[in-house]
Amino acid sequence: MIAAEPQYRDWMVAALAGDAHAYRRLLAALTGHLRAYYARRVGTATAEDLVQETLIAIHSRRATYDPGLPLTAWVYGIARYKLIDEFRRERRRASVSLEDAGELFAADESEALAARRDVEKLLHRLPEAKRNLVRAVKLDGASIAEVAAQTGLSETAVKVGVHRAVKSLGEELGADRAD
Amino acid sequence: MLRRLGVGLVLGMAATLLVVLFRFKLRHDLAAAVLGAAFWIKFAYGFAIAGLGLWMVERQSRAGADSRAPGWLLAVPIALLAMVAAMQLSAPQADWRALMMGHTARVCSMLIVLLSLPIFAGVFWAMRSLAPTRLTLAGACAGLLSGAASATLYGLHCPEVAAPFILVWYSLGILLATGLGAIVGRWALRW
Repeated sequence: MIAAEPQYRDWMVAALAGDAHAYRRLLAALTGHLRAYYARRVGTATAEDLVQETLIAIHSRRATYDPGLPLTAWVYGIARYKLIDEFRRERRRASVSLEDAGELFAADESEALAARRDVEKLLHRLPEAKRNLVRAVKLDGASIAEVAAQTGLSETAVKVGVHRAVKSLGEELGADRAD
Repeated sequence: MLRRLGVGLVLGMAATLLVVLFRFKLRHDLAAAVLGAAFWIKFAYGFAIAGLGLWMVERQSRAGADSRAPGWLLAVPIALLAMVAAMQLSAPQADWRALMMGHTARVCSMLIVLLSLPIFAGVFWAMRSLAPTRLTLAGACAGLLSGAASATLYGLHCPEVAAPFILVWYSLGILLATGLGAIVGRWALRW
């Protein structure tokens, strides 16, 4: 059972009901997994093409997802199908084994974990309030309006706060590099 | 999603029905036939297999589907028809040759396959905008559906009434259509 399954499934169900925001977050999350999955199997340029193709396929065939079944299995089915297509195009005789969906959704984790660690280290240079703003808007993909509602700040205050925080991080990093 | 499949199926069956009506003609004793059990046994056989075929096609059109409509359910209509056939064959003075071969044994299966082609077209058309990921299997299921739907409509023309005949020749026609779907599906269903 893939850890992210309930979250992704919820996003998909919301997206199918018209929630554009949930849809965006889902596609963003899936992009990461797809990129890692393909990058380990084909060249980088081809991998990027495949990621785009798969996202388009996911979008155009989203009506074929049955909410009673696992979303990850559905996504994996499409990803594997596109990969086989690519191999057929390249006339590679490689066989794509029937790994389960864990192959697609685990691949991202080691890279994502390392990246997340670095980002957290960076964020800890900010005061707590600013840190949470940046995390919500830039990492979790929440909209300005959502964050404003949650924190009680005005939308302008959120925008300005995030902008300033990111700017100050950039300056710190620049200063670090100069040392 | 089911709607697209339904549209394709209905359009295909409409085309087949037109061919049956105008090229092959309804059986002249249709009015009498619908009063008899044999007509409805034929109809039910085709209808049941077509229903299972549609269910399987619907499952196969969803990416990553494990085939959740178990194929073994097909054994049910086959077994039931086989029981009726056995009864007929074991009747005293049953003419086995007549029961098995009827008048149209040589053409029956081929006609069922032929008449399934418009239905194939409709079902494939629908499936190409869906997401089958195991194309041979999906094609086979489409073939099963098309063959069985064709057999159901063919019953409007076909004069045969013996259950053994139906069991052998109708099943063969459906089986051939299934195989055709599997072979053609590999490239026809690509998306």
